[in-house]
Amino acid sequence: MTDTNPKRLLAACALATISAALILLLVVLPAEYGYDPLGSGEAMGLLGLSEQQNTALQVQTAPWKSDTFEFQLAPFESLEYKYRLEQGAAIIYSWQGNGAVLYEMHSEPDGAAPGFAQTFAKGRAEHRQGSYRAPFAGIHGWYWQNRSSTDIRIRLRSQGFYPYAIEFRGGHEIRREL
Amino acid sequence: MIKLAVLLALSCCTALAFGHDLSADNAQFVKSLQGPAPGPFMYLGAKHMFTGYDHLLFLAAVIFFLYRPRDIFLYITLFTVGHSITLLLGVLANWQLSSQLVDAIIGLSIVYKAFENMNGFAALGRFKPDTRVAVMVFGLFHGLGLATKLQDYMASQDGRVINLLSFNIGVELGQVLALAVIFSLLLLWRSQASFAKHAFAVNSLLLCAGMVLFAHQFTGYLLL
Repeated sequence: MTDTNPKRLLAACALATISAALILLLVVLPAEYGYDPLGSGEAMGLLGLSEQQNTALQVQTAPWKSDTFEFQLAPFESLEYKYRLEQGAAIIYSWQGNGAVLYEMHSEPDGAAPGFAQTFAKGRAEHRQGSYRAPFAGIHGWYWQNRSSTDIRIRLRSQGFYPYAIEFRGGHEIRREL
Repeated sequence: MIKLAVLLALSCCTALAFGHDLSADNAQFVKSLQGPAPGPFMYLGAKHMFTGYDHLLFLAAVIFFLYRPRDIFLYITLFTVGHSITLLLGVLANWQLSSQLVDAIIGLSIVYKAFENMNGFAALGRFKPDTRVAVMVFGLFHGLGLATKLQDYMASQDGRVINLLSFNIGVELGQVLALAVIFSLLLLWRSQASFAKHAFAVNSLLLCAGMVLFAHQFTGYLLL
């Protein structure tokens, strides 16, 4: 190559710089660092690439919510309270009663036969807390029953990645947007 | 020619997509090694060079306009001496450098050589760097890049020198293989009229790729 016309050189360098900037902003930064100034990473589904998925860390995409739910159970009354969770969505929770109750923590997968539920824990306690990651999409939560002769108040607190909860009481379903 | 440009762009993209780090399985295996393991380290060196698009793009830019075997030998030797010095020193002296900063400079080496191939320095006038010095100096940085990668995978101090030398030999083998491929493609292309016509455009593409590599790595350096 002999002489390069300075104008041509300038144009080529400008074009190369602009192309590099576009490639960077559109693809590389969203994919490598999750920085998505133009929304292109979101559109192409590149944003998860920069997050390492492993057992210690699971990046969540649903909005972060927190919830406090207080209720009273008369003797032999029961109540169910479940969160809507997608597969892999997680919650941490703590519930505390002013007396011991029977409890069962279980989940109903989407499309499961009526009455089917996978049970994770059951027993009798005043207080339980823990973390839970949904093994499948569905509704996930607790059943409590008061087997004592006095009223018991229970307070459930949780944080997690759920859009709503459903309360089942006396044959009624009440959906609570969160 | 358009095909070639598309090919170059595509190879750029796939290289970016697959990334330059040793793959996770390789890494797991190498980290579990204790003591001298010339075979695996030589293989990794060769693989790193042969699949390392930053080194490949720089090599392609360096030999782009070299015709005489003597020149090719000279420049590749300068590059090899450069990267071997810092690879050996960096690992033996255990320099702790930011691999992303080093990789950013490696990106700049491509920008530099592509710009020179576009006759950019002639157009700028006064300043005309000595290409031989530049290739050697950028070779030093490519070697630092190799050193930071190898340091990540040398878990055991046992057999360090042998593993380092094996890696270095592997790098040179990979480089010879890569050069054979790049040079054959260049020869093939040079025999056609489209070479003179589109050499400038292809170097613009190289310039662009170098800028992306630089900015990608430099952003990572600033973020971490």
